[in-house]
Amino acid sequence: MAEEEVQAITNEETAPRRRRWRVTRRGFLIGLGTTCAGLAVGVVAGRRPFWRFLAGMLSSGEGAPSGGDSNPFAWFEITPDNEILFISSKVEMGQGVHTSLAQIGAEELAVDWEQLTVVQGGTHYGPNDGFGTGGSTSVASSYDPLRLAAASMREMLRREGALLMGVALADVEAVSGTIRVVADPSQSMTYGEIVAAVDEWQELDEEPALKPSSEHKIIGQSMARVDFESKLTGSAVYGYDMRVDGMVYGAVAHKPTVGATMVRAAAGEAMDVPGVIDVVINVDKGMAGVIAKTRQAAQAGVGKLNVEWDEGYLWSQEEIEAMLITEGREGISIQRDGRASRMLDDDASIISAEFKTPFAAHAHLEPQAALADYKDGIVKVWGSTQGANTEQSAVADLLEIDAETVQVVPTYLGGGFGRRLSIETAMEAAFLSYNTGYPVHVGWTRPDDMRQGYFRPPTRSVLRGKVENGRIAAIEHRQSSGEVAFPFFPPFLKGVFGADFGSWRGALNFYSKIENRETIAYLADLPVRTGWWRSLGLLANIFATESFMDEMAHAAGADPLQFRLDHLGDDAFGMRMKGVLTAAAEKAGYGQDLPEGHAHGIACSPDVDTVVAMVAEISVDDTGKITVHKATMAVDAGYFVNPDGAIAQTQGNIIMGLSSTLIEELTITNGVVRPRNFDTYPLITMERAPEIDVVLLESDGKPRGMGEPPLGPVAAAVGNALFNLTGKRIRQIPMTPERVNAL
Amino acid sequence: MELNINGEVRQLDEAYGDGVLLWAIRDGLGMIGTRYGCGAGICGSCTVHVDGVATRSCVTPVEAVVGKEIRTLEGLQAADGTLHPVQQAFIDKQVPQCAWCMSGQVMQAVAFLEENSAPSDEEIVDAMKNNYCRCGCYVRIKEAVAHAADLAQEVS
Repeated sequence: MAEEEVQAITNEETAPRRRRWRVTRRGFLIGLGTTCAGLAVGVVAGRRPFWRFLAGMLSSGEGAPSGGDSNPFAWFEITPDNEILFISSKVEMGQGVHTSLAQIGAEELAVDWEQLTVVQGGTHYGPNDGFGTGGSTSVASSYDPLRLAAASMREMLRREGALLMGVALADVEAVSGTIRVVADPSQSMTYGEIVAAVDEWQELDEEPALKPSSEHKIIGQSMARVDFESKLTGSAVYGYDMRVDGMVYGAVAHKPTVGATMVRAAAGEAMDVPGVIDVVINVDKGMAGVIAKTRQAAQAGVGKLNVEWDEGYLWSQEEIEAMLITEGREGISIQRDGRASRMLDDDASIISAEFKTPFAAHAHLEPQAALADYKDGIVKVWGSTQGANTEQSAVADLLEIDAETVQVVPTYLGGGFGRRLSIETAMEAAFLSYNTGYPVHVGWTRPDDMRQGYFRPPTRSVLRGKVENGRIAAIEHRQSSGEVAFPFFPPFLKGVFGADFGSWRGALNFYSKIENRETIAYLADLPVRTGWWRSLGLLANIFATESFMDEMAHAAGADPLQFRLDHLGDDAFGMRMKGVLTAAAEKAGYGQDLPEGHAHGIACSPDVDTVVAMVAEISVDDTGKITVHKATMAVDAGYFVNPDGAIAQTQGNIIMGLSSTLIEELTITNGVVRPRNFDTYPLITMERAPEIDVVLLESDGKPRGMGEPPLGPVAAAVGNALFNLTGKRIRQIPMTPERVNAL
Repeated sequence: MELNINGEVRQLDEAYGDGVLLWAIRDGLGMIGTRYGCGAGICGSCTVHVDGVATRSCVTPVEAVVGKEIRTLEGLQAADGTLHPVQQAFIDKQVPQCAWCMSGQVMQAVAFLEENSAPSDEEIVDAMKNNYCRCGCYVRIKEAVAHAADLAQEVS
């Protein structure tokens, strides 16, 4: 392989001494199998010279990177001062990914946990990540390439350390951020000392062996979260907190209805509002905004603009829901085994049921916020974003500038839940900064956030099934939903994919012993923005399918747990699912006596190959109000990088799932999103939070996602418990007292 | 205009004088630890103490707190950097997720425990039930408030 010199980058602030390292490429690291597109030793001359180890792109699968940037990308940096940085391309929105990815890196880099500092990457710092952070993919997709990158870096340090100390490679080991002589540990060099002494690095001839999980000391441990001290003392910086010198506040006019378009706009009396500095209008781009000395003045200024809107058609909730009806429409068959449809024709023994879920808001507690600073031809944007690269393109498209001149720096996120894969505040702030030259912060109000975003789409599922000899002979699921993934992809992909994989996530029947089964997806192009919401279609689809599984069990006269076990396959997936069902049931005491007026319900679901099962213990009072006393969930995600983090994700998913199950419903009236704030869109509180028991099961040493899968069975488990308690089946969420009483 | 905040007298730009306390603290004084969630006194993210009482700063006029003692999350640590027992308890129990609400949760809990140093579970729920946590950390918040009461007893 040719020797290659990586281009030096000079830090513009100071470059006290220029130094050029060289890297010799030998071979294997160029490919790194199929999961890592490139790996090299890079060179940066900066404030302090430092060595940069470059791990190319994140893995394939759902986390496939889009690439598109020629700069080197680093996961780790070690400075001559022995600072060891892990640069996370994944953003910290509460899921603990900074901690779990750092654990993966620290394990193979052979550094002590305290030695590693986690910093946030962005479009121009750290590993490139076109996918963004979401879909419960971060740990699973990074696990192998990150370990390989860390192990390679460790081995290169080992080799150079041995050379520097004049001993054989076989005689040195990497321990606690040092390379030391095995026979004489007093002879050692820190990683930083080695980095300071080496001018030319050689890549490895072969892939280093990775530790088997039995030897893991950091992976698999419940390490304390790295971000909590700053978050509990008030120093952690989120998008809403970003400040730079000379910053002003911005706000823009927002659509009064879901289908509105801007017709005309003028400054009106906005400039008369005390504190308002400037007005910027571009009707073609739908932008009319002001900048001001305070946030309140900016918002008041927007109220004084003269903006004329075409409100569009004023949709009602009923009209929108009618678009989800499957009868008379063409669907796309996404799963077909046997001859379910024919077996379910004209048969009196067919059981049929229809399930509905509503629009839902993400309601992350930090409303959308970003700061943009246009200076010297560069638009720099800081914000709470799940998709730095997406945001970079969106800002560049809006301003009609080269994407490379837009630099996005993610901050901490005050919740994400899929909403921050589109961050309108970044576009608004960039628009105002680009046109005025001021650094501009835009923070949405709660009503902005509640009304101007996209929502979890409403769904309708029609299930039909037939029981013979105590078993399901045939089952069919007609699944109808607004779009989830499609709004984020180029239109031609709709034709490639056919059905929207976000909408039908969780809809496929996973009971492989059912010979005749079909799932048909129906997509509605609703007049309201819909999109990513934690777990995508999972909660809605599992509510339908796992409630219906219960209906089939009762029709067969079988116990719902045993009925599920009987229909699961004996392959690895089926055994894992049986494992979580059995574990949840045992832990909850399923089948044993409960206090008077209490009942259990059970449900299970797979998602990103993580399997979960939940038992809900509930009661219901005279008003129809459901109380969930206890939720017991068993989770098999293969292998847990941070078990306590996995438990936290499980607890959080159960609570968020119960909020959807019991309370949350967003409606449209006369073209307007009805709730403005939490008074009309309340969330679950501690008062209705149940006791939660979590059982973690490990199966095969491969970590899978934890951010969303536990949301799957929550609504179904509660509905199934309600049936066991009252003999009445609820087929719509939220399960409000009115709906429960109307059964 | 002057605000007495965390034991210091701070000058507040008059542009924030006729607004609510939240924005005076965040934008006027640049203290970011107090969080905006709803602006309507519902979610509790903006909770601070005014003369020791847990108060929703997003609906509290600045004029109403002039001359009073305001305490925010930044004012909880001891001078030597030791965390307040509630902060320590929230770390011990690994409570937060995104943590945007946690400033309000902690301030609510501190004020509550100053009134009730040995609360029952029911009293904790009653004190904390009006603070939203979208990430769903309620089980751990409850445990941590009880744990904080124990820590505070050990300290005293």
